[in-house]
Amino acid sequence: MKGVDNPEFHELLKSRFGIEDFPKDAPPFVPASRHRALTGLLASEHGYTLYDFLVASHWPAVVSKKEDDPGDPEHYEVTTGLRIPARGSKLAVWRVRVEIDGTMPSIVDLFAGADWQEREQFDLVGVRFSRHPDMRRIMLPEDWDGHPLRRDYAIDTPHPPWR
Amino acid sequence: MDAIASAIRVGIDPHLDLDEYDPAADLMVLNFGPQHPSTHGVLRLKLYLDGETIVKADTFMGYLHRGKEKLAEKLTYAQITPIVDKIDYVAPMTTEQGVNMAYEALLGIEVPRRALYLRTILAELQRIASHLLWVATMSIDLGGALGGGTTVFMHCFRERESILDLFEELTGCRFHYNTHCIGGNRHDITAGWPKKVKATLDVIDSRTAEYESLTTGHRVFRERMVGVGVLPGDLALELGITGPNLRASGVDYDLRRDAPFHIYDELDVQVQTEKAGDCFARTLVRIREMRESIRIVREIIDSVPEGPINGAKPVKSPTQFKAKGGQAYACLEGPRGEVGTYVIGGGDNRGASPYRVKFRSPSMHALSALPYILPGHSISDCVAVLGSLDPILGEVDR
Amino acid sequence: MNPLEHPLLRGLIYAGVVVTVLLIIVAWAIWFERKFAARMQSRVGPTLVGPMGLLQPLADVLKLLQKEQIIPENADRVLFLLAPPLTAFFAIATAAVIPFGPEMIAADLDIGILWILAISGLMVFPVWMAGWGSSNKYALLGGMRAVAQGISYEIPLVLSALVPVVLTGSLSLADMVEFQAEHGWLILWPPGPGIIAFVIFFLSSLAEANRIPFDIPEAESELVAGIGTEYTGVNFALLQLAEYVHTFIASMVAAAIFFGGWDFFGIAPGLHWMVLKTFALFFFITWIRWSFVRFRSDQLMALAWRWLIPISLVVLMASACWVFWAGV
Repeated sequence: MKGVDNPEFHELLKSRFGIEDFPKDAPPFVPASRHRALTGLLASEHGYTLYDFLVASHWPAVVSKKEDDPGDPEHYEVTTGLRIPARGSKLAVWRVRVEIDGTMPSIVDLFAGADWQEREQFDLVGVRFSRHPDMRRIMLPEDWDGHPLRRDYAIDTPHPPWR
Repeated sequence: MDAIASAIRVGIDPHLDLDEYDPAADLMVLNFGPQHPSTHGVLRLKLYLDGETIVKADTFMGYLHRGKEKLAEKLTYAQITPIVDKIDYVAPMTTEQGVNMAYEALLGIEVPRRALYLRTILAELQRIASHLLWVATMSIDLGGALGGGTTVFMHCFRERESILDLFEELTGCRFHYNTHCIGGNRHDITAGWPKKVKATLDVIDSRTAEYESLTTGHRVFRERMVGVGVLPGDLALELGITGPNLRASGVDYDLRRDAPFHIYDELDVQVQTEKAGDCFARTLVRIREMRESIRIVREIIDSVPEGPINGAKPVKSPTQFKAKGGQAYACLEGPRGEVGTYVIGGGDNRGASPYRVKFRSPSMHALSALPYILPGHSISDCVAVLGSLDPILGEVDR
Repeated sequence: MNPLEHPLLRGLIYAGVVVTVLLIIVAWAIWFERKFAARMQSRVGPTLVGPMGLLQPLADVLKLLQKEQIIPENADRVLFLLAPPLTAFFAIATAAVIPFGPEMIAADLDIGILWILAISGLMVFPVWMAGWGSSNKYALLGGMRAVAQGISYEIPLVLSALVPVVLTGSLSLADMVEFQAEHGWLILWPPGPGIIAFVIFFLSSLAEANRIPFDIPEAESELVAGIGTEYTGVNFALLQLAEYVHTFIASMVAAAIFFGGWDFFGIAPGLHWMVLKTFALFFFITWIRWSFVRFRSDQLMALAWRWLIPISLVVLMASACWVFWAGV
């Protein structure tokens, strides 16, 4: 991943979670089932106590024309960033792939800041988070249709004037 | 539904179910905003009041949501700067700098030393201007638009105008500069600019003592701010609060010193912290940061190295910079905290636009503390707390 | 027949003169305040309307008079419409007993200071009516705070105003001024009780008039405009006018009972000294307004109940003891 350099975090992923794939210019993937465990481990044992950011992106289905290439179904990728708030501050960034009908495990009980950030990503991208105490829209009005930051939402989609 | 862990520590549940609150209490719902003299923008706070004490505070934002992240996907890398100026409209220099840093990381473009120095000077001057505006608006919140608060407001704005004059001489705009670009800066330092900067800083330095006596030295100001709106350090960390808000709660963390970017590893930045975590501590931290920024600019204004101001080729077409994929995150320490940009490359216009951009907004994290620290305070304190967290709604809503 | 012989006509003429002069002076006091505030803030203030902006208050009044009267649907019409004129009425009515000069007083009542305290105490009612009748939560909160503040600060106001009564032995303001003309200003002699009583009277008057630092009922940054939120046009003008008149009258009363009124150590006694002293106090009040931030409600109450009331009781006792033993 560009702009972020944290080999100790990659070592941790390799040793404790058995993740081997570290792409050069993107954060590593962590399975959704290990997301909460990883977050808890980083927060409690390695000092990553600052909740930095949460980004969700929508990847529409890729249909391949080749026979042996299955393509890629529509999915979301949710990237989480945590930091150590001290000298030599390191940033731990990883991605979780969420299928289009699936839910992302919420870390609200570990980091209170996830409350609003997860609401914002649900509001704008459409990712559902499980076990969130108050999942409702945060930026857009409650009766808005659709999730604007999805790739299939046209930027000039007409919408009624807000009352 | 289990309450949020930190809420149990603080003793306040932001998702309090009001039916379980004292049934004998006659709760009044007061809509604070979005149209209100003191909400620092368009913010709606739905306050549930028991008498004058707040029982629960519900925050509604999005009144200034302009869809900048979606717009960034439509525009190319070279076209984004005037748009992000308006995200944090009080400190546009830092947002411009942050977004261009992320794009440079993604595209792999080096920034020359001269541009790094200039960016640092502009960022620190912007920090001074932003904190001056904060002192001004904080005084108005406390003292009224027709009263002592306005006096401090007018004086601080007079100082801020001199900094904006410096920016105008450099970039041509008092506000919304569009001076950072991919690879460096667009406007180079003019001949007499360093001398003017030093003269302005001398004036501001001499008047900072006056502002201190009108705010932190003022008895009524202290009474309104000391002990009000205490934000515990670990709650702040969990919420992702950075910047002066975090440092006032006792956490010694500043991106300029701890994760240095640009030339900050050559400068010795003195990080200001306070332990109390109340509004008064935040005031002290910000005023001291102003002084520290003045010191930093004085240190480097005369030693800017010669060289090109931009490391990328001159931009001939908007689609000049292309990225097929890749993800990057770059952040810097803005006046309100960590201003970060997360960019995923490989979007429209055959890779000339990003696929997804996220502007990490420090003000949104700061506002998320409101449901935790407001209950138990009165409305006057609500105004003081909201002001002391320094939210900029343009940044919160994007 | 001399109209001044006939009691009703005399009353009307005196009332007309006092009210007219008072309102004109208050309007230009507003001009002065705006210029002073501007200079403090390195601005210039009103300059366009008339030379040096002197006609600005006239322009403001004309503008407010021609505005549309908007009455909220849920407002209690009677309370809503009655409150501002009542506030203004009570504020102006207190000017009846103030001695402007050696023989210049509209109504030389025996109960001078009691009339002033009673009428300004009545001002709490229209403020409450405005807050309740507006059917607006901000106005309601403003009204509640104003009532609490008003009744709390009436006590030290009355107690500190009683100190000159005890020292001079009379309730009438004209008698108090004549006493000071003979025996020296009450703020100077007896040393101690006079000054403390003046400070308490001053602070309590600021609180009664809702001036900064005690202006929490109209705290613009919290309550939009407090009790005046829903008012437009004439009624809004009347509310603002009432506040200024109250402040002005408080300065005049303080000048009369503590600073000797129209007397200046026997040198050329007359109306001019009264005017000068009133303006000096008004200047001081304005200076405070444009330098201080405001107190929070509970801090305000604490100041009244924990400090001003005990101290004013002590001072009252001290003055009573002085009169008893020194026999002045």
